[in-house]
Amino acid sequence: MATATESTAVPRLIESTLEVFETMVFSTLVPGPVRADAQPPAASVMGAVRFLGSLSGAVSFYASDDAGCRIAAQLLGIEPQEAGEQMADAVGEITNMIAGTFRGRMAQAGETLMITTPTVTRGSDFRAHYFNVTSRTLVPFAMGDHQVFVELVLQAA
Amino acid sequence: MRKIIANTLKKIGCEDIVEAGNGAEGLQQVGTGAIDFVVTDWNMPVMNGLEFVRELRGLQTSATLPVLMVTTNAESSDIAGAKEAGVNDYVVKPFTAETLKEKMSALLAR
Repeated sequence: MATATESTAVPRLIESTLEVFETMVFSTLVPGPVRADAQPPAASVMGAVRFLGSLSGAVSFYASDDAGCRIAAQLLGIEPQEAGEQMADAVGEITNMIAGTFRGRMAQAGETLMITTPTVTRGSDFRAHYFNVTSRTLVPFAMGDHQVFVELVLQAA
Repeated sequence: MRKIIANTLKKIGCEDIVEAGNGAEGLQQVGTGAIDFVVTDWNMPVMNGLEFVRELRGLQTSATLPVLMVTTNAESSDIAGAKEAGVNDYVVKPFTAETLKEKMSALLAR
């Protein structure tokens, strides 16, 4: 059962993700069922932004190489096959925008958060570990033929 | 973010775009006197957007140069800090090309 914090935060994270993709990537994402305490997906690239304040945790974004290149191509107005070198920066910026928009929406709910600059991890076999985790919520999104994921990690203060 | 902004500027008809990777490089470009408008991110390496704008306002060549800041920091205290540093207006990420164009046009019309 979702806590009050999760019930406040997860819908706002979904709204933030949809807004960022609609506005910057010109893609209408379709959210799938929210997965509580799910394992992070297999992905080639992960962007992460930590947040601190009245809540502590992280917002992470996961994509395959193909999905990441498509996102970068849309952001930069180039072809996906030309986007490989820009993909990590693009995923970092998308994660930053999702987290920043989430921060603004949480402020409307009375939560004051500060966010860090994004970090990006690329590889084929990695998993992000956090300490003092109270919940990990994973939201899958369909992006055309691709699937991307956003994860909300909440930590004890 | 720099390349995203540059791509958006091209979409709205800006042709002569000079890019700088951080605030320090931006100051060098502004110092040439050949820049008519500055669009800067808040988060940049070496010298962030606020530091860049404060330094820029201290230069004779750019004391009145229009400066638009792009940021995810949309809290009123953040915006107040940006304006205090010398930013003329701001655009909150995510933003559309139309929003960027409207903000730039309004600043140029002042």
